[in-house]
Formats: sequence, C-alpha cells, structure tokens
Amino acid sequence: MPTRREFLNTLVRGSILAGLGLLSGALIFRKGKERECGFDFNCKNCPRSNDCLLPRPLESRQMVWQLDPSRCIQCGRCATDCVLTPSAVKCVHVYAMCGYCDLCGGYFKPGTKVLDTAAENQLCPTNAIKRKFVEDPFFEYTIDEPLCIGCGKCVKGCSAFGNGSLQLQVRHDRCVNCNQCSIARNCPSGAFSRVPASNPTLLRGFDQKQTTTNIKQ
Amino acid sequence: MKKPDSPDPTIKLLRQIAFVSALFAVVLCILILVNWLQLHRADPLNSPAVKTMIDRLGSDPDNAQLREQVRTLDLLSRKAYFTSQWQIRTGGYLLLISVLIIAICLKTIEYFHKKLPDLPEIKNNTYWIDRKINRRWVGYTGGAVVLVTLVFAFLSHNELENMLGNAVSRGTDTISGKNASKNIPLSTSGKAGSVPDSLLTLATGDSISSDTLLDGYPTWTEIIRNFPSFRGPGGNGIVYQKNIPVSWNGKSGKNVIWKSGIPLPGYNSPVVWNNRVFLSGANETRREVYCFDAKTGKILWTARADKITGSPAKAPTVNKETGQAAPTMTTDGRRVYAIFANGDLIALDFHGNRIWAKNLGSPANHYGHSSSLMMFRDMLIVQYDQRGSANVMALAGKTGDVVWKTARNVKVSWSSPVVAFTGKKTELLLAAEPYVASYNAGNGKELWKMDCISGEVGPSVAYADGVVFSVNDYSKLAAIQIGETPKLLWENSEYLSDVPSPVASGKYLFLVTSYGTAVCYDAKTGEKYWEHEFDNTTYASPIMAEGKVYIMDKTGTMHIVKADRTFSLVVESPLGEGSVCTPAMVDGRIYIRGDKNLYCIGK
Amino acid sequence: MVFAVQRFPKPEFETGYLQPGTLLPSPRAEILAAMDVAILVLALSVISWIVLKKRSRKGVFWMSLFSLIYFGFYREGCVCSIGSIQNITLALFDHTFILPLTVIAFFIIPLIFTLFFGRTFCAGVCPFGALQDLVAFRPQKLGSRLNAVLGMVPYIYLGLAILYAATGTDFIICRYDPFVGIFRFNASFGMFVFAGILLISGIFIARPYCRFLCPYGVLLNWVSRFSRRHITITPAECIQCRLCEDSCPYDAIDIPVTTKDPENRKIRVKKLIWISLLIPFLTFAGGWTGSRLHITLAGVNSKVRLAEEILTPAAGQGQPESLGLTAYKSSGKAAEEVYSEASEILDRFYNGGWILGGFIGLVFGWVIAERMLSKWHTDYIPNKGACYSCARCVDFCPVKTDLSEIKHEKT
Repeated sequence: MPTRREFLNTLVRGSILAGLGLLSGALIFRKGKERECGFDFNCKNCPRSNDCLLPRPLESRQMVWQLDPSRCIQCGRCATDCVLTPSAVKCVHVYAMCGYCDLCGGYFKPGTKVLDTAAENQLCPTNAIKRKFVEDPFFEYTIDEPLCIGCGKCVKGCSAFGNGSLQLQVRHDRCVNCNQCSIARNCPSGAFSRVPASNPTLLRGFDQKQTTTNIKQ
Repeated sequence: MKKPDSPDPTIKLLRQIAFVSALFAVVLCILILVNWLQLHRADPLNSPAVKTMIDRLGSDPDNAQLREQVRTLDLLSRKAYFTSQWQIRTGGYLLLISVLIIAICLKTIEYFHKKLPDLPEIKNNTYWIDRKINRRWVGYTGGAVVLVTLVFAFLSHNELENMLGNAVSRGTDTISGKNASKNIPLSTSGKAGSVPDSLLTLATGDSISSDTLLDGYPTWTEIIRNFPSFRGPGGNGIVYQKNIPVSWNGKSGKNVIWKSGIPLPGYNSPVVWNNRVFLSGANETRREVYCFDAKTGKILWTARADKITGSPAKAPTVNKETGQAAPTMTTDGRRVYAIFANGDLIALDFHGNRIWAKNLGSPANHYGHSSSLMMFRDMLIVQYDQRGSANVMALAGKTGDVVWKTARNVKVSWSSPVVAFTGKKTELLLAAEPYVASYNAGNGKELWKMDCISGEVGPSVAYADGVVFSVNDYSKLAAIQIGETPKLLWENSEYLSDVPSPVASGKYLFLVTSYGTAVCYDAKTGEKYWEHEFDNTTYASPIMAEGKVYIMDKTGTMHIVKADRTFSLVVESPLGEGSVCTPAMVDGRIYIRGDKNLYCIGK
Repeated sequence: MVFAVQRFPKPEFETGYLQPGTLLPSPRAEILAAMDVAILVLALSVISWIVLKKRSRKGVFWMSLFSLIYFGFYREGCVCSIGSIQNITLALFDHTFILPLTVIAFFIIPLIFTLFFGRTFCAGVCPFGALQDLVAFRPQKLGSRLNAVLGMVPYIYLGLAILYAATGTDFIICRYDPFVGIFRFNASFGMFVFAGILLISGIFIARPYCRFLCPYGVLLNWVSRFSRRHITITPAECIQCRLCEDSCPYDAIDIPVTTKDPENRKIRVKKLIWISLLIPFLTFAGGWTGSRLHITLAGVNSKVRLAEEILTPAAGQGQPESLGLTAYKSSGKAAEEVYSEASEILDRFYNGGWILGGFIGLVFGWVIAERMLSKWHTDYIPNKGACYSCARCVDFCPVKTDLSEIKHEKT
C-alpha cells in the first residue's frame, strides 16, 4: 500500500514539475517570437499605438509604471490615489519646452492681475513652484519636488495657456512600483501603463539624448 | 521553569512593559485616527475659506488687510497639511516600535515561561461524526454562496447586455466586428455567431433593409483587417496584416489562387472588404464597377455608372497612361464608391444596387483625373485638384450630400489623399503644387501647409510617427515634422519619384522612383542607408507589410525587400503580366490587377 | 487634453543663462531585482534546511524575522508570490502584457521548493506569513467545522482573482492586500483597518490571512500534498504520547484514525456513487450560477462601466459627469468602439463566470468527497496540505533522537 501511494505521489510530483516547467518556459520564451514589429514602429511615440494589434517591443523585461502626459486630463487623482502620501507622481518641468513666460499659466491663477509670487496669485496649493527672474521678460520656473503633491493644477494651466512644458510623471525614486498601480486603476483616461524600466519616462517634446548628457553633467 | 502563579520578577516586568506599550499603542492609534479624520474631513489644501477670500480679493483688489489675511491663512493651511502628514508618519513609526516592544516582551515571556503542554483530555473519538458534520457544513456554505450569488445576479441590472447589444448593432459592429469574426481570426467575440450575415452571403430575398443594417462606419480595427482604399488603410501604404505571401509565379500558377479577366481597362487598384474585391473599368463610352468573390474570383456583379445627371455627353480626352478609370475606389464596409475621369461619382451597396450617383463636373485636368477616393468615418473624401478651382470635399457616404468643401489654392494634381491619425486628431494630408497641406478630416478646416512641392504632383504623401513625407519629380523629397507650426525636418533631391508614392515606418522612409530605383532613408535625419536599381519602370506604389516592402515594376515582377537599414532582397515574384496598379493585401492574400486580369495570390 | 506645442517660442537668452536639464531619476536597478530572486532562492534553501534537517523552531523564527524585514519592510512587499498569480494569468491571456522574469521566478520557485520540501515558503520566507506568525500569541482551536467552512474562502478568492486578472480588469489580490500598507507605512484607511483586524484576531486565530484568504496558499496546499519530503513531528517513531496534539496553532495535525467508519459497507458504496454524481452536478450548478453573475462581476471593469455611463446619461441632472466620461469625450473615441469593447469584455465575463463557478462547484464537491474517503493512520502526522512547516510541534515531541542515525520516516 505505501509503495503504491509513493509511486503515485512521485508520478503526480513529476507531472506538476513538468507542468510548472512548461508554464515558465512558455512564459519566458514565448515573447521571443512575437517580439518583432513588422513596421519598425517606435511605439513610444507611435500615434497608432492605441489601435495597434501588435505586441509591444521587448526592450526590457523589468517594467515600471509611467503616465503618458498626452493622455492625461489632470483630474487630480494622482494626488489622492497613490499608495504613498504625498504621491509618487510629481510635476516635471521640461525646460526645453518652456517659454519662460512672465504670465505663466501654470504658476498664476487665471485672472491674476499682479504678477508676483504672492500666495493669492499662485495656482500651486503647496507653493511648490519657484519663480525666478532670468532676464527681461523671462522667468524660470522650478518645481520643488518634496513639496509637490502631484495634483496637476499647474499642468492643466500650462497645457491650456502655455507650451505644455509642465507634465506629470511618476518619479521612480519615490515610486514603490506596486504590482498594480492604484492610480492606474482609477485613472479615468487610461494614461498609466507599464513601460520598460530601461526607458522609464513618457515626457512629451523631450529629447532623451539631452537628458542623458544632463545627468552625466 | 517557574509555575505560572508565581512569576519571577523579570517576567513580571516584561508583562508590565508589554502592558504599557499596548496602552501607548492604543493611544497612538486613536491619535492617528483623529488626525486622519481631520485631514480628510477638511482638506487644508482645498479649504473653502481661502477660496472665498481670494474671490473677494479679486473683486476688491486694493484691500490690503484682506490680502494679508489670505496669505496668513494660506500659509497656515499648508503648514497644517504638511504637519499632519508628518504627525501621521511619525505616529506610524512610534506605533510600529511599540508593537515591536509588545512582541519582544511577549516572545521573551513565552520563551522563558514555557509550560509543559497539558495532556489533552482523551476525546471520545468523534472523527467520523465530525467528518459527517463538516461535509454538511461545507454543503450549507456552498448553498449559501449560490443563494447570495443568485440574489446579486438578480439585483444587478441585466439590461446592460441588451443595451450594449442594441447599441452595437445600431452602430457598426454588427457587420464587420462580430460577423466578420467567422472569417477573420483576429476578432475574438464569440457569441454573435448566429446573426445572419447578409454581407457575406448574397441574400436574394431582401429580408433586412440594407439601410438599417449598413449604417455607421467601421472602426480602425476593422479597417486594418481590410484593404479599403488606394494604398490600404488610410492610404498610407502600410498593411497591418500577417501571412502576406512572398513567393508566387503568375505564369506557372504557383501560389495563384485564381485569376479572373477584367472586362474593361482601368489603372485603378483593387480594394478589398471581407470577401469582396472591388475595382472599376471604363472606356470612352462605358463605365463599370466590378465586384469579385474573393474565394473564387467570379464576378459577382457588375454595376454600370450611366444615366447620371450632369454627366458630360462625351468622355474627356485623357492621356493614354491615365485612362478613363484611374482613381481607385474605396469602401466603408457598407457601400463602395467609384469615380471616373468625367467626374461621375457613384455609390453602390454590397449587392451592386446604386445608392446615389452624381457628377462633380468634368474635371479640368489635362492628363485625366486620377486622385483616388478615401473614406473617413462615414464620409467620402474627394480630392478634386482641377485647373482653376481646386478643392477637397467630403460627401456623406449615405446620401452623397456635401458635408464640407474646402477650396485649395493649388495647381492640378494627380496625387491621392492620405488620412492619418496624428495623436490628437485625424489629419487629411494632400500634396499639390505649391504645398503639402493638412486638413481636419472631420470639418475640412486647414490645419497647416508647407510650401515644399512643385510640378505636376503624382505621388501621394507618406506619414509615420509625426512626420509627413512628400516627393515629386523635378521638385524635392521633403520630410515635414507636423505640429501647430510644422517644420521641414530634412530634404533631399537625389532621387525623386514621378508616380509611385513613398512609404514610411517610424525609422525608415522607402522611396521608389518611376525608373525603378528603390532608396531607403532614415526617416528622422534623411541619411541615405541604401539604394538599389531594379532597372524597370515602376508605377505601382510600394506597400509595407510585415517588415517588408513590396515593390512591383511595370513588368509585373514584385521585388520584396526587407524594411531595414541594409538592403536585402527577400525574393522576386513575377506576375507574368504587366501591371501598373498597387497591390492590395489582406490576411494571407495579395490581389494584383494586371493589364487584363485580376490575380489572387495566396495559399 | 488640448496640448499646445510651442505656443511661445523658446526664448533666446542674452545674459548667458544656462537652461537647466530636467532631472529624471531612474527606477530601481535591474541587478537588484535579480538579487531579490537570488535572496529568495537562498532564503528558501536555508528555511528548508532548518525545517527538515535542523528541525529547529528557533531557526524558523529568526529566518521569518529576516524575511519580514527584507521582503516586507525593505522590499515593501512588491512583487510577491501571492500577487504574481495575477501577472502570470494576465500574461497567459494577454499576449501584449510583458512579464518580467523576476515575476515568473517569484511565482515558480516557491512552488518548486514546496513540491520538494513542503510549505517551507510559508514558514519563513513569505513576509505576510512571518508577520502573522509573529503575533500568534494565544492561538485557539477553531474547531473542524469552522475550519472547513472558512477554508473554502481562498478557493473563491483565487477564482475571482484569476477571473479579474484574465479579463484585464484589476489585480484584486493586490488591491485588497492588507499587509503591504504596514510595510510601506502607507495605505488607505480601509486597508489599515483590515490589517488591524487581521493582526488582532491573529493573536487568537493564528495566521488568519494564510488560512482563510491566501490564494497562493491554495496552490501551495495542492502542491505540498505531493511533496517529496515534509516536516515530521517526530524524528523517529511516534510514541503516541499525545503531547503534540494541541501544539499546532493552525489545526494542521491529523490525529490518529484508528476506529472504523461506523457505517456499513453498503451505505458507503451508495455514498460513493452519490458523490460521483454530486461532483459533476455541483460543477455544473456552480458554472450556471457563475454565468448568471457575469454582469455584476463585469461591473468592476472600467471599460464596461464607461460604456454603461455613455448609454445611460447621468440620471441625476445636478451631478457632474464622471471623470471617465470627461476623459472619454476628450479622447475623441467613437462610442461604437467603446460598446464593442465592452460587449467583448462582457462575453469574456460570461465564459469566465461559467469557468469560475464550475471551478468553485468542483472544489466544493471535492472537499465533500474528501471527507468521505477514509484515511488510516496510527500516528500523529502533520497534514501535508495545511501544514506551514512552522516547526512548533517539533518542540513538543519528547523524542529527540539524533537525526544522523535515523532514516527519514514516512507514514
């Protein structure tokens, strides 16, 4: 009796092992075949990527969460729905796109008459944007990230009245990379997606080469 | 080991520490809770008090006192926000520490104060009775789960599915989204298989009025399963399907599924929707539209474009190389549309019945009108660049009424429209001397234009990844980065095309000249990667599919090259018959119009 | 969503102002992810050695403390083996979903170790288990009835998690993960309350999450039943001292069954036939019930919800439209597309409802059947499926024979 049971156990164990091996093998190697994108599309900026029936290119297996500013409607959920407080989503300033406007749509409340840094004029609820005079008539705007809560009010202002150089992004030094991002779950416009960790930003109008040089500097 | 009733002093101490920690933890919990409730009941960052005060300040900007108040309150609320967050966080750490202390104390007590296990009483052996009761209880639980589930199912509004079903069938998807799934493996919906498919089977008894069924317009997903217009979906030369044949021989019949004669000549290319292939043919006196069965090659019906109000009595004089039926037809899966050199425009349903027909006025075009038709949503787009009054218009597919019409200050052209989704909107891209222009496909408003093309423009533009490529002979090849203010990314005039349109991926641009040289450029920089001479005149536009570019010369030989930065010829497949028409490709099939016959290639 | 591009031209600075670069912090290095997998394998090897060779409760305790600190507080919980079920499922159903190799590793490796050594993963590697094990100060017997009934919950949870992952709706295991908030010091209020309830009840009911919720535990339970080796209470022969009888806080010790089933053979045969009919019936009934529920289940899906919102314009006029509707309107997507997507998802939920219900019905049938089959054994043995290999019972066994002399005994 015990020998028969043992034999059966071994048999089942072997098949479970084989099944697990098959499953993991399939999951690991399956991608290799489907990886090629017939049109050499660069999905990152591909305007058709929403309709695309092809699998995404496999640049890296490690994935992180990121939000696509071009789909973002600045609803404010990034500030409230992140598992972290304050959120891992912050406003990022793409200086290369900025017009250095005196009347900055991202800095001032609409209808502001006196362009100064007074609290009643600021759009940012936490005073996270610093305004600095550069030269007439240009002003530099810098995000003080520890203060930024990712509410997107400035982003909305900048994209409505300005160049759209203020954009929301998941900051990977803060993001804990949940298996299922709780902002992504509640994002009304589906702007969140998993992106390869090797290329973890989705900023618009931004030259990646420039970034790398900046980081090196 | 001590007896439990006389604990040694260390254990007593540990117990006391644990107790105090527990008390501390409870107090902390309450504090954190209160703090949290405060923060959530009145979010200091969106405090209504500050807001109303700022509003008041807006109407009374000189009130210095009020301004001071606003600033103080704002600072306070920001401080409140960050302080309470700090408090919650610190409270959390303290809570963890106190719980840790409790745990350490209790574990230590447990460790030092191990008591010998009591010998449990010998229970009456209730094993079998227990098992029986367990069984019953599991059964009850199952019953309860089923009951709860059914109650939920009953309470949930079941009409959603019906509503969706109605909405979908009212919309477009009854026709191609769901029914097409029988033929096309890409669709995954399974439940609608029983809906009668009047499209695919030629219904003789007209039980369903075609109007109710054939409403709406196809989704992009459906469009890319087909080849609905000149140069495929959107007219951009890119095929999104797989299993496109590479090797055939028209003479030996290898991989030729069927070959079917075309009654009247025409230089328009085939278009495909599900299992129908459409093309048109015309001579000076007759203008006809043919519908081929994609399976057998049989002509299912022929529709004549005659007796159209306003049609000129005599066909216009045209160049021999243009002919009376140069523009390629288009279809939206509900109707097919054809235009002829005399300006006759006709819309037919899938059974060949005429829906509407009109004459746009004989075009003032010295070679003959050849701009192909294009669909956007339920609108038929006609590029009508004639001498004197060039324009582009959109006609309602269902009625033929003009939806919008935009005048163009351009010379005569022979190029065709391209519809491209450029991220935010769908742009209609047209090329004619002197400019490449983009229109909002929905309302015809001009979005931008750029002077970069001249001469008698034949090739259409190509679009990929935010860049539009235009080319014409004796002019230049230009790459335009689109946007509100488009800019010229690069230009080149080494190789230029007179007839074939370029095709682009995000990385590369492929250009085929009319004298048969294929060139590959970097789409972004304009760097030339390779060039290759095929030595034969080429009129058909290249088509990109599955990472390959299909280039067919006038002798009918298809040169298939890798869409890559190095030149690599995959294979050359002869049709055995001359051809100037652009091939149509769908899943597993290529349709090529030769000089006299229509070929279906595949396995 | 209107994005202007260069409404204002880039200024040309005359004062030599240098434009600062945009800082882009990079995510956690991939090598660290590989290190996590290495530590997982190492931890599993060590804990298996501690459990099977050293037979040391103290070793298990310190190992679980290490895992709690590393996988819990340092790694902050993600990605864990429990949640990886959903990633694997989604990857199987959605070919565009890219599955990182670490996720596969976190799913497969504990199962393989369990297949050979029993649920040592639960004993000392899973941070959730470690946390609950730490607070199990006064474990009480629950009684076999409650155990049996509550033991059905993980199956339902697993089925739902797979259904929602397969339809690309949500990762419910992660959404309702009570402990990850503790590791991060950050979670929604509701989750903190849930975690608090679990931990406080965990003082008396040992490992409530593991026993009555954990969906990965279901898989480990199945696999562990066929494990090659497994912890034994005694290193030698059981002397029937009964000291270990109440030692297991998880009610995972099978006490000897020596008496015969009081029912006679005829009745038992009848019952067996009845059961072989019951299982298919329950499977079908479950499937049918599940399919009835598919609209309720699909209601969670954002695409279905959006389609519903478009179809039924806001009933209360005063209410502002939902953000989803706003986003949809600004995206310019055709309503038909949303409808067809939604009805496709409904179809999937319909089929999924059948499968989910069938699965749950089958499990109920199997559990009932299992309680009819007789299991004969004369010794006190850990239930291979339910035992977490925590090695508490080992401390209670008076037999401490040198292991090197005694061959591993199997019952």
